Amino acid sequence: MNKFKITIGYLYGECMNIYGDTGNIIALQKRAAWRGIKVTIQNITLNDKLEPGKVDLFFFGGGQDQAQNLVAQDLKSTGKGKVIKKEIERGVPLLSICGGYQLLGEYYQPHEGPKLPGVGLFPVYTVAGDKRMIGNIVVRLSALSCPDKIGTADDFIVGFENHSGKTYLKEGAKPLGKVIKGFGNNGEDKTEGCIYKNAVGCYIHGSLLPKNPQLADWLLEKALEVKYGETVNLKPLDDTLELLAHQAAMDKFS
Amino acid sequence: MNPRLIAAILLGKLIISLSRFFKVGGGSAAPGLYALKIYPQLVSDLASKIPHSIVITGTNGKTTTARMLAHFAQNSGLKVLRNATGSNLERGIASALIQHSSFHLGGGGTKYDLAIWELDEAAFNQVVLRLKPQQVVILNVFRDQLDRYGEVDSVLKNWHTTLRQLSPETTLLLNGDDQNLLSLISSFPGKALTFGVENYKIRGEKSFKRVGKEILNLEAKNLNLLGFEGVRFELEEGDGRWFFSLPLPGIYHIYDFLAAYITATRLGIERQSMIGAMQSFSPAFGRTEKITLPGEKTAFIQLIKNPTGASQVLEVLSGELREDDKLLLALNDNLADGTDVSWIWDVDFELLQNPSRAKRGDLKTEIASGPMAHRNDIIVSGSRAEDLALRLKYAGISPQDIEVENNLKKALKQATDGLKGRLFILPTYTALLKLQAILAEAGIKEHYWKHE
Repeated sequence: MNKFKITIGYLYGECMNIYGDTGNIIALQKRAAWRGIKVTIQNITLNDKLEPGKVDLFFFGGGQDQAQNLVAQDLKSTGKGKVIKKEIERGVPLLSICGGYQLLGEYYQPHEGPKLPGVGLFPVYTVAGDKRMIGNIVVRLSALSCPDKIGTADDFIVGFENHSGKTYLKEGAKPLGKVIKGFGNNGEDKTEGCIYKNAVGCYIHGSLLPKNPQLADWLLEKALEVKYGETVNLKPLDDTLELLAHQAAMDKFS
Repeated sequence: MNPRLIAAILLGKLIISLSRFFKVGGGSAAPGLYALKIYPQLVSDLASKIPHSIVITGTNGKTTTARMLAHFAQNSGLKVLRNATGSNLERGIASALIQHSSFHLGGGGTKYDLAIWELDEAAFNQVVLRLKPQQVVILNVFRDQLDRYGEVDSVLKNWHTTLRQLSPETTLLLNGDDQNLLSLISSFPGKALTFGVENYKIRGEKSFKRVGKEILNLEAKNLNLLGFEGVRFELEEGDGRWFFSLPLPGIYHIYDFLAAYITATRLGIERQSMIGAMQSFSPAFGRTEKITLPGEKTAFIQLIKNPTGASQVLEVLSGELREDDKLLLALNDNLADGTDVSWIWDVDFELLQNPSRAKRGDLKTEIASGPMAHRNDIIVSGSRAEDLALRLKYAGISPQDIEVENNLKKALKQATDGLKGRLFILPTYTALLKLQAILAEAGIKEHYWKHE
């Protein structure tokens, strides 16, 4: 696989990097490197311009309220929101978590004041809630929402959620999965996250990708497929420790 | 004296005696918790009887600062009351006041000259106004247990609100190397003083970079870092340049010292007496604590609880680890540890893979390469040991060098069996408590409440 190299675009890493977001970048970087794929991390932040075709995989983490307002404006004023949307349309994979997920939705309705418009990539919207949804979470990736590469319907992803925003899926939106334990999108409809083409939005920290390597590999495969225009099957890795940590998180609920 | 207050104190004292008798813990939270139910004003009523009080808050370094300040004060003859280690919620304060209140001195009187209260980031807002302190110390603000305290922005917002209500008679002492803290001055009606370290920024939090030159009221200069042995530095004051030798490692401990020093100076404690007292200062419970294991082996115990603090510890450790040393890391996810273990992914565990790389900036964004310079057996333990093992793997440590043992007692045995060098133990808060109990049971160390 030495012929492959990818660029990961870390969106607003400086201000959007709530607990453990870096863990996702580390996981992507390592799992690619262990297969001889060269990785470049490109930090894309406030005021930067984004050109189409330069990034093979996007990551967008969570942030504090203040930062989130700045980023929402910046996505619009620099045109980055539009570019990201176009890139996703042509299949470029993306992982967004918490704040990043919210900003890529249609809008965020705060307690007071006007709606904060989002990028409109995911057909979802978020409303400020009164209760913080905090705790370990287990989600079943439904076969419907996920391409078969991720695995079977028995696949679970585990992690930790910590949000007060309640996200609702609009008609036709596909959730990432079904909440088995925890709150998920809104604590009401048992859905968690959203998937559109190869873009994933969700509320799962933990960090998400190290403990759920199937998701990390799926993102890497999609990135390579779109970039090189061929089907890629990544070499399997020894995931003993990954699965041990995954199991330990599952066991918290047994 | 209010009869409800008397009843509350008696109940508290009874719980303290019972919990000690049955050895169910030091009685540092429960007595206060129940006494407050009977008499909610207990803290302000009892605290007001002590002539001087100082409140210390911040994410990291509260216990060490409080302990150092107490040491300086006691050394110059003052009688000091503190809340027990780690019990920094209102119930912990109440427990300390109950335990040390006596009825015979004019009803709930006191024999203390000075109270030193450490309050966590949230308890600060609830309790500081009741304590009416002469001095308030704020050490730093980092991400810590986002599930409990919320984000840094909201911690600061609450502090602004609380500081606005403090008496202008109070003096505020701030870490001036922390941009976030400097903004608090605008909300505080009284006098504020800053302390800091020359040309230094705190690793790990980008917003903490020193921008330009702030004027610091007290600044440590010409640092000389001596690994785990400690650090030497100078302070330039109105009457000359003074040399200090701190028996605690890392730059982060200098901030704790500066806070204790500036506070003690304002209490009238002489510099010369503090310089002398530093030689006999011993670190707090699980804060770079040195213990001797059977077979004359040395172990260091250092609490880790958030990314910045843990990275600072690893930074010192990475320069210190030798071939024969072992590491025992213990990660729990109880409420007091933070139920979200995501934070370990923000810790620079990469520093452990190859100590010589330690000074090379942010390793997290680099791909690790090359073999380890030192091969250290690392044992991971606690309720989330597996997460820690995974973090180490992704930090470039070979999975063969990592042993997973959830049971801390067994893990400790594994770590000490055949140990040739030293053992470094880094536990999260509840793992530290457990460790102390294990060590006490083995006769290696007394229970912590006997020390305080």
